[in-house]
Amino acid sequence: MVGIGGAGLGSGPGSVGAGQMPLGGGAFGPVARAQYGALAKLRWQMLSNGLRFRKGKLELGVRTLGFLIYGATGIALGGGLGFAAYLLAASHEMRFLPLVFWATFLLWQMIPVMMASFQEQFDLGSVLRFPVSFHSFFLLYAVFGLADISTILGGLCCVGICVGLTVALPGLFLWTTLTVGLFAVFNILLVRAIFAWIDRWLAQRKTREILGAVFMLLVLSAQLLNPALHHGFPDFHQPNHKDAVRNVQHYRDMQAQYEPWLMRVNAVQEWLPPGLAAKGLRQVGGKTGEQAAGAALGSYGLIGLYTLVAGVVLAARLKAEYRGESLGQAPKRTKTAPIRAKLAGGLAAGAVAKAERASGWLPASTGPVGAVMEKEARSLMRSVSQLYVLGAPLMMVFIFGSMFRSNAGIGHSFTLALPVCMAYSMLGFTQLFANNLGTEGAGIQLLFLSPTPFRTVLLAKNLFHATLFGVDALIAGILVSLRLGPPDYSVLAGTIGWLLFALPANLAVGNIFSITMPFRVNPGRLTRQRGSQANALLSLLTQLAVMAVGATVFGLCWYWDHLWFAGPVFLVLACCSVFGWMRVLRNAEGMANRRKDSLLLTLVKTE
Amino acid sequence: MVTAAIQTYGLTRRFGALTAVEDVTLSVASGQFFGFLGPNGAGKSTTIKMLTGLLEPSAGSIEILGQPFGAGALELKRQIGVVPEGMALLGRLTAPEYLRFVGRMYGLDRATTARRTDELLEFMQLADESKKLITDFSHGMQKKLALAAAVIHGPKVLFLDEPFEGVDAIAAGMLKSMLQGMINRGATIFLTTHVLEIVERLCSHVAIISKGRLVANGSIQELRAGVASTLPGAEHEQRLTLEEIFLSIVGAGEQPEPQQELSWLA
Repeated sequence: MVGIGGAGLGSGPGSVGAGQMPLGGGAFGPVARAQYGALAKLRWQMLSNGLRFRKGKLELGVRTLGFLIYGATGIALGGGLGFAAYLLAASHEMRFLPLVFWATFLLWQMIPVMMASFQEQFDLGSVLRFPVSFHSFFLLYAVFGLADISTILGGLCCVGICVGLTVALPGLFLWTTLTVGLFAVFNILLVRAIFAWIDRWLAQRKTREILGAVFMLLVLSAQLLNPALHHGFPDFHQPNHKDAVRNVQHYRDMQAQYEPWLMRVNAVQEWLPPGLAAKGLRQVGGKTGEQAAGAALGSYGLIGLYTLVAGVVLAARLKAEYRGESLGQAPKRTKTAPIRAKLAGGLAAGAVAKAERASGWLPASTGPVGAVMEKEARSLMRSVSQLYVLGAPLMMVFIFGSMFRSNAGIGHSFTLALPVCMAYSMLGFTQLFANNLGTEGAGIQLLFLSPTPFRTVLLAKNLFHATLFGVDALIAGILVSLRLGPPDYSVLAGTIGWLLFALPANLAVGNIFSITMPFRVNPGRLTRQRGSQANALLSLLTQLAVMAVGATVFGLCWYWDHLWFAGPVFLVLACCSVFGWMRVLRNAEGMANRRKDSLLLTLVKTE
Repeated sequence: MVTAAIQTYGLTRRFGALTAVEDVTLSVASGQFFGFLGPNGAGKSTTIKMLTGLLEPSAGSIEILGQPFGAGALELKRQIGVVPEGMALLGRLTAPEYLRFVGRMYGLDRATTARRTDELLEFMQLADESKKLITDFSHGMQKKLALAAAVIHGPKVLFLDEPFEGVDAIAAGMLKSMLQGMINRGATIFLTTHVLEIVERLCSHVAIISKGRLVANGSIQELRAGVASTLPGAEHEQRLTLEEIFLSIVGAGEQPEPQQELSWLA
């Protein structure tokens, strides 16, 4: 037998430390530095080893493409905000500078929710079994967040603002850098703190369900906010001079009415970090060294305080995780005695009826299809990230409803508002369609073990998702109609036709993606998911392609003034997509069996 | 007086209304091979997680090698090795990459890490699989790798949660001899397993936890004598196996009688 004497296993108290570096030195001591190096190497090795698989190569390609896209988006946003900052500073309109900081702030804080499934995140909780100090853990948590999309975009926006302001006011370079830097640190810590706490609430079923309910209430409240905000706003569509004059007068009246309210909002926002950053820059403007420092001390001090609070809130959460807080469900003890009693006595009639009711909502005749649909419904009710998918389309209707009402170019009631809102509703379902096995986890094995054909499972999932989308589309359609008036019959027919084409097309492609590039979805997490970027990007491209077909058909029919013709065209396309969907379902069995190893690997095996 | 390698005082862990581990006071002497037994859901893994700093106790305290232990006790963390419940392997690494990663995380210098990685892979008969990703390993190979990772830094106290599950007889024999060698050199091993035969063969002392409470603690001979004293006839003591002792303590009466079992099963 091969010996392991050199490993020094349990060779007495004196020898345990052999080959070990001394602890200490805080977050930058020799052991801490070695740990950072090991983690960086780990990430690199995981990435390079991933290239052994076709999926890994695809992931790397998509990730590179993704970073290019995010980088380009960030540069565009940063350029826009930088230009805005430049214009405001150059034209001495610094009082509007808070708008630039608020835009950056909202972008930074909102992006992680929108992009949760588009980025792979490493769960640092797994390093806690090693002798990692809390300072190192905190630092790692903050540093690992620097490569996420929100930080890239937010960071580029900050660079843009800094450049814009420096070009306009070169004398303020140092103050601008300090302000923007402080503002960026605040945003990094705040976004990490918010999502660390959200993940904590999502980790337990009860808090997850409460958070889900709160989220749905927020979405519904947003719907009520829409008409409330736009009540009384003038119609900018100007058919003649008389109307235009009346609108301008109406706008002035509104300005007088809302100005006190806006002043109050302004007074409040000045005490919040984006407002403070702008205020600090206003205060140092035109002053020299000590004068400037004295003038802006309060503003910078407050931003520093906010940053500290965000850091403390994040630290409190991480400290709990570091100490060994368990967010999992408590293990249930086996209640053998009652089971024995039940077995001995048999189930009472009432209990049988109750068990039957609990075993399913759909009739028994629906068989495995009904069973899978019920399972999907139950999973959905316990997953905030998926509930978000349901709520998001309504939010989109809220946004676009406002746009169509107030945009002078589009007019009061945009003719194609209904299909546009439907398209956006469908966009929210992208991840549900394209990763319909993601929530199965280890349960995927059961799907392969059971006598139910895989295509039946996919059919059930497709039917469930189609029903869900149908409900969502109906609500969105009603909201659009209430907001913008009932659509024209030809538009309605065209929209229904497009849906009949788009839904099976998305389901068919989604089934293929679900089998070929699935990723495990943790219903208890919004961040730190291990998503597949290839799946995310390709499914989004599919959605965009389906929308492009719709836009082309609608556009051409509108151009030739035969909007009614869109309906029949879409029906023909729908026949093709239904045929394609059925073919995919027919081939699903073979496709899933050929990819069985890969599916199990991704959804079941070790990280 | 010999310092206990592991000492707990009133260790308690609550999950909401459920108390998973309640008031566990336990002492494991240095150099002991200690078996920690209990039925499913009794609180074994919860206890191990608390003892290794992965789970914060709701009440009570822990001392490892005579010093108070918590998540921040880094020096103590370096003196313990763990094979956790889910093995905590990283599937997209190869075995040498993983061992080198673990070695560096425990603060070993590069040369020591590399040398021990090679030795451990050789010993665990995984050296020929050094190009394979961990995710492609069999369950048994993964267990061996998890054990190698738990000992690479030469721990004084080793916590093993079901280490022999899925390991073939040859590998199990090899692992047992390795663990026995560690004990001979003064290490302490805290083992949980459902395979009572292994505990009977390896462990000198045993504790049994049931419904979160420690219901028995002592050497196997002491437990045997204790259970035998409750049975009629002194000759029982010599014949009692650990399985009989275990069932007697945690309640064999909870098993359904044959006639009460699921009658519709073939």
